[in-house]
Amino acid sequence: MAAAGGLRRGRLWRGARVRCQHCPPLRALQASTVLRRVSDEHKKEPFTSSSQQHFDSPPAGHQPEQEPQGPRPSYTGQGGQESEDYESEEQLQHRILTAALEFVPEHGWTAEAIAEGAKTLGLSVAAAGMFHSDGSELILHFVSECNAKLSKQLEKEQKLVQLGEAEKKPIDEFLRDAVEARLRMLIPYIEKWPQALSILLLPRNIPSGLTLLTSMIDDIWHYAGDQSTDFNWYTRRAVLTGIYNTTELVMMQDSSPDFEDTWRFLENRVADAMTMSNTASQVQSTGEAVVQGLMGAAVTIKNLAGLNQRR
Amino acid sequence: MATGASTEIDRRSKQRTCLEVHTAFIRGVGANRIYAGQMAVLGRSSVGPIIQQMWNQEKDHLKKFSELMVAYRVRPTVLLPFWNVAGFVLGAGSALLGKKGAMACTVAVEESISEHYNNQIRTLVEEDPEIYKELLQVIKQFRDDEREHHDIGIEHDAEATPAYSVLKTAIQLGCKAAIFLSERI
Repeated sequence: MAAAGGLRRGRLWRGARVRCQHCPPLRALQASTVLRRVSDEHKKEPFTSSSQQHFDSPPAGHQPEQEPQGPRPSYTGQGGQESEDYESEEQLQHRILTAALEFVPEHGWTAEAIAEGAKTLGLSVAAAGMFHSDGSELILHFVSECNAKLSKQLEKEQKLVQLGEAEKKPIDEFLRDAVEARLRMLIPYIEKWPQALSILLLPRNIPSGLTLLTSMIDDIWHYAGDQSTDFNWYTRRAVLTGIYNTTELVMMQDSSPDFEDTWRFLENRVADAMTMSNTASQVQSTGEAVVQGLMGAAVTIKNLAGLNQRR
Repeated sequence: MATGASTEIDRRSKQRTCLEVHTAFIRGVGANRIYAGQMAVLGRSSVGPIIQQMWNQEKDHLKKFSELMVAYRVRPTVLLPFWNVAGFVLGAGSALLGKKGAMACTVAVEESISEHYNNQIRTLVEEDPEIYKELLQVIKQFRDDEREHHDIGIEHDAEATPAYSVLKTAIQLGCKAAIFLSERI
């Protein structure tokens, strides 16, 4: 499953690069070879620097604040040795972008954040050149990671329900919780999220952004136990997409503690949707009753007129 | 590397399954609506019970494929509401030509449906009969049902309909076009 996801994402990145004319694949390839060389150099570095540390620095050198710096280069050193032959360009990009997320609150969805992320992996800041300068790949990476997290979470819940360890939630509660869980993933980046949304709305990024959004909505409905194979399939997804997007906009302007207003807004919108579907089914049954009445009247008239002969 | 290749096969076979389930589903919807249209006109006539019986089988097929649609998370075609109306109109329209007309329509539709099932079986067996074992079993059973409907139609003088071959060709072309469009939109 994860591998398939990786494949799909890989395709997405490749697609994104083909579409972007400013960074032809050649450049990305060069960038990756440069990177590999740089990471080679770095691999040697940590050993020398750490051994120097041992000799030069007094015991105070083993302070906890230095520890986070220590393990990271050595992690890439080991990982690099192991994965140098196997690690594809996509995997490397994936790693850089994941590391870059940490710097988003500070630098925004920019090449600087990517450069900082590459630095923590012991790579050159030139790694940022592998990506488009507007940071769209970083945002898409973040969105797809969040989606994967959400569907994993929903799958876990579903398993609990199947095992009988948890009660099945009513559909409105399920939708509300799922959307809330997904939106809560934005909280660490909420200050910079409007910037991300505006980048996602650039024409170039709309197709991939839309694919991710629809697959997320589809996941939610799947785990909500949606059985529709008729046109409801579309209306349900459209309604939930609407709810998600409006709630997201409300969330960005929300200053209440723990986004209380947002969750209240979300609850009301889900309740609205439920009322709407009830009304729709009522209208449908009324319509069917009216049609039956009309058919009955037609048969009566036919009988009265003597037209109702059996064929 | 081996896992990469196998996931690639997985992905392709999944795609193939989704496609086949979807086309089978569309055919199910179409056949259902055609029988519904015929029943609306001929429900009280002497062939009513026969049509009803074929319709019930068709309903079972549709139910099975709906389940598969949900299981494989296939997106239904956008044209579904349109086929709902078109199928009903075709059924009712052919029934208005009389019992023979209705049977001619049934023969034409069932023939193209079973032909389609056969094509599906052929492609699936060609690719890998092991992976698609379940699907193949379902399709084979349903194909036999459709052949039976076809024979029932012939028994009821479908071929005696005026302009039978024209009617049949037109309906079969329509079916092919419908499936061609639905697979893509």
